[in-house]
Amino acid sequence: MKGLRDALVLLVVLILQATVVHRIEIAGVRPDLLVAFVVYFGWMRGPIPGVIGGFTVGLLQDIDAPGPLGLNALAKTVVSFIVAKAGFRVHRSNVGVRFVLFLTAMLVHDLIYFGFYTSGDVGGLVRQFVFVALPSALYTTVLVVLLLATVEATSRTLLLTDEG
Amino acid sequence: MFRLLFARRADWAALTIACVLSVTLMLLDRGQQARAAWFLQHTVLAPVDAVVGWVDAGVGVYWENQKLKKRLAQVQIEADATRSERLENARLRRLLALSQENPSDLTAARVTSRSLDRLGGSLTIDEGSREGILPNGAVITPEGLVGRIERVAPHEARVLTLLHRDCAVAVRVGRSRVDGVLQWEFGENPVLSLLYVSSQEDVKPGDWVFTSGLGGIFPEGVRVGTVTRVGIAENGLMKDVQVKPAVNFRSLEEVLVSLRAGAGRGPRMLPLESSEPDSAAAPASAPAAVAAPAPVTKRPAVVVTPPPVPAPSESTESGDGQ
Repeated sequence: MKGLRDALVLLVVLILQATVVHRIEIAGVRPDLLVAFVVYFGWMRGPIPGVIGGFTVGLLQDIDAPGPLGLNALAKTVVSFIVAKAGFRVHRSNVGVRFVLFLTAMLVHDLIYFGFYTSGDVGGLVRQFVFVALPSALYTTVLVVLLLATVEATSRTLLLTDEG
Repeated sequence: MFRLLFARRADWAALTIACVLSVTLMLLDRGQQARAAWFLQHTVLAPVDAVVGWVDAGVGVYWENQKLKKRLAQVQIEADATRSERLENARLRRLLALSQENPSDLTAARVTSRSLDRLGGSLTIDEGSREGILPNGAVITPEGLVGRIERVAPHEARVLTLLHRDCAVAVRVGRSRVDGVLQWEFGENPVLSLLYVSSQEDVKPGDWVFTSGLGGIFPEGVRVGTVTRVGIAENGLMKDVQVKPAVNFRSLEEVLVSLRAGAGRGPRMLPLESSEPDSAAAPASAPAAVAAPAPVTKRPAVVVTPPPVPAPSESTESGDGQ
């Protein structure tokens, strides 16, 4: 039952990422809901489900990604694991904690992703990080924090907080 | 030993396996990566792609629908503005035609404000004494009589409409030539009443009423309204006649003002564009007389300057034995 719900939530996130995200971009900056899902999933479910979820979602994303196959899978696996370990003791319902955790996790994800992608070109990495990763992480974090607050206000069953 | 290690550090083991798999995939050559991606796309991702495509089409339609609704609203606003301008153009054309029929007698003015009272009764126009407007000048539209000028300032003037109790008008029934005085009466259902009509006189619903010029204020032959109801007054001597004005006072935007205060030959009226004011008040036989009222068609369209008349008060007009 838990797995089915997780799969359904993932399907919804995939659909939103594929259908809505490009319509709500601001000045070319799009939110990355899949990273947010992986972070949230790892945070709520723990390291092993987080690793499996991160790898699966990353691999799905890699199929359409311009980079090498496995890069998204690696970045998301690592981030999900770190979040699951680091977020184990933090207060999950605190908005400030959520904001910091999501933002940091997404920046770490992009650091890994663009680090491999730019193959050691520090200038390129900094440019990608400043002009792509940082705005996208901020946009995604704000969106996810608002989305979580909205979901919490309407239905707690949609949150993945009853297990963990 | 591996089993023990895995049991104790299962999370690290999972991470290691996932990382190794990821890096292995990354290390594959491009051809192998493409084959792996193709395999995943046609097995794992195909159902997801189908659902995404289906939802994307729906979302796209919704988004496009929203855009089209916005565009429709904009077009609607533009169409409304165009329609409003077209109507204004038609009104101004009729005013211009009426003004050209009586070139030296009329000046056009725009209504700038209306009475604050719910029942109306007065208007302010943007022309005044500097434009030659005099107190007691008749105010008309192509549809008919509006009222008279009450007060004049250099660049504006106040108009008492027929719906004001101080604006009584000497009138004549177009068909039967019966004279009377038209005056607004306050009551539960305020109406224009045609006063001083004997019970023996011939007045019927649907008859058109024109100014008679007898009061010394309004020129002769200006359309005023139609008789809507005829009854006998309580004393049995007079008729109780109600008249619906030809002008819609609520929608007045431009008017023409007679520059010659006082009675005399009125401006030549234009035929009405429709059989207004309404079908109940104007039976099928009436409109012919409306478009060409007797006083208008029988006389040439020449403005006759009346002899100077001292500006009478309204009580004079309504009480001077007409």
